[in-house]
Amino acid sequence: MTRGAILFAFNSPKFDYYSMAEYAAKRINHFLDMPVTLVTDEQSTLSSTGYKFDKVIKVEPNLDNKRDGVPWINKGRCQAYALSPYDETLLLDVDYVVNSNRLLKTFETSVDFACHDNTAYFMQPKLSQEVLSTYSFKTLWATVIAFRKTERAKQIFECLEMVQNNYAHYSNIHSFISAVYRNDYALTLALRIANGHTYLPGDIIPWNLLHVGKNTTVYKDNSNMLDTEYTILFDNWQKGKIRKEYIKVKDIDFHIMNKENFVELMKNG
Amino acid sequence: MDTKTLLADAKARFSHNSAKQYLKEKYDSKLTIAEQGGLWKADRETITLLGSFDSDKLVVMDTFNNPVEVDRKDLLSKLKAVYEETMSAWLKEWAELEGKR
Repeated sequence: MTRGAILFAFNSPKFDYYSMAEYAAKRINHFLDMPVTLVTDEQSTLSSTGYKFDKVIKVEPNLDNKRDGVPWINKGRCQAYALSPYDETLLLDVDYVVNSNRLLKTFETSVDFACHDNTAYFMQPKLSQEVLSTYSFKTLWATVIAFRKTERAKQIFECLEMVQNNYAHYSNIHSFISAVYRNDYALTLALRIANGHTYLPGDIIPWNLLHVGKNTTVYKDNSNMLDTEYTILFDNWQKGKIRKEYIKVKDIDFHIMNKENFVELMKNG
Repeated sequence: MDTKTLLADAKARFSHNSAKQYLKEKYDSKLTIAEQGGLWKADRETITLLGSFDSDKLVVMDTFNNPVEVDRKDLLSKLKAVYEETMSAWLKEWAELEGKR
């Protein structure tokens, strides 16, 4: 039985996703003791600093998707099942910061497939869960997906591809904006469809996905790359004034939504 | 700039509520384990339920709301061990955080 992680990284004019993937892979190697396969394109590999991935799979990037006026190459996650060389795979966003071995538990708690359906934000406990639209489903998150090479997992990824190819149609049905393709939305619909339009709790990772959200910045407490202690600083706006608040965290995984913050974190070790 | 200086310059305050929430996120997940074909949370309710029976086998609803027949003593012993270990670590980190602020 082989186990490993797969990352997708395609550089954009704004961000060097390849370097982010190298940073993420080093942490996965260390904390999860897993090899990492990277799916990327020829151009992005020019950013390599020499880190050796277990495998590098080069594909043609799908340039259809744009965010803030620049290409955002996030289509193609549906290929993860076909491209993964492992029996058990963790599919992670490159801006997910692994600081513990907690993700190994996902293979104990699920059979074929698992993702997050609940999120929590550092410093902002009252934020509500995201929904596709007012009358649609709660969003599932494609940030962390664990799957095994089983027929059912294959069907889920095939369904994800089908939703991706018909994204405008599904956006009409579920009343969300289709201009920017989001894997989270496609996954939400694909998993439901693959499960016969039902909700299977066994497909859900039994803890929250932790986001670093708006007005929140993560700082590393020292420059050791594999250190797991951070300071989280939050601009709490109250009555037109900012009140700065902070906490200290350690040994906990989180997803940084603000890419600039992630880049700063990489620079500081 | 080190984070100590950064916090001092920003006149940032330690947030008790956010620290509590972070610890809950971190340690709640550690209380969940997969055992005997079910998924269990080592919480007060499950431990008390398992401890209140005498039989060797017991049918219990797991966190997915599936009934699972379990070896009661074995599951109880594992959940108690997870509970003790997790809660001790939780308390230790909470005390550290309170000390650092």
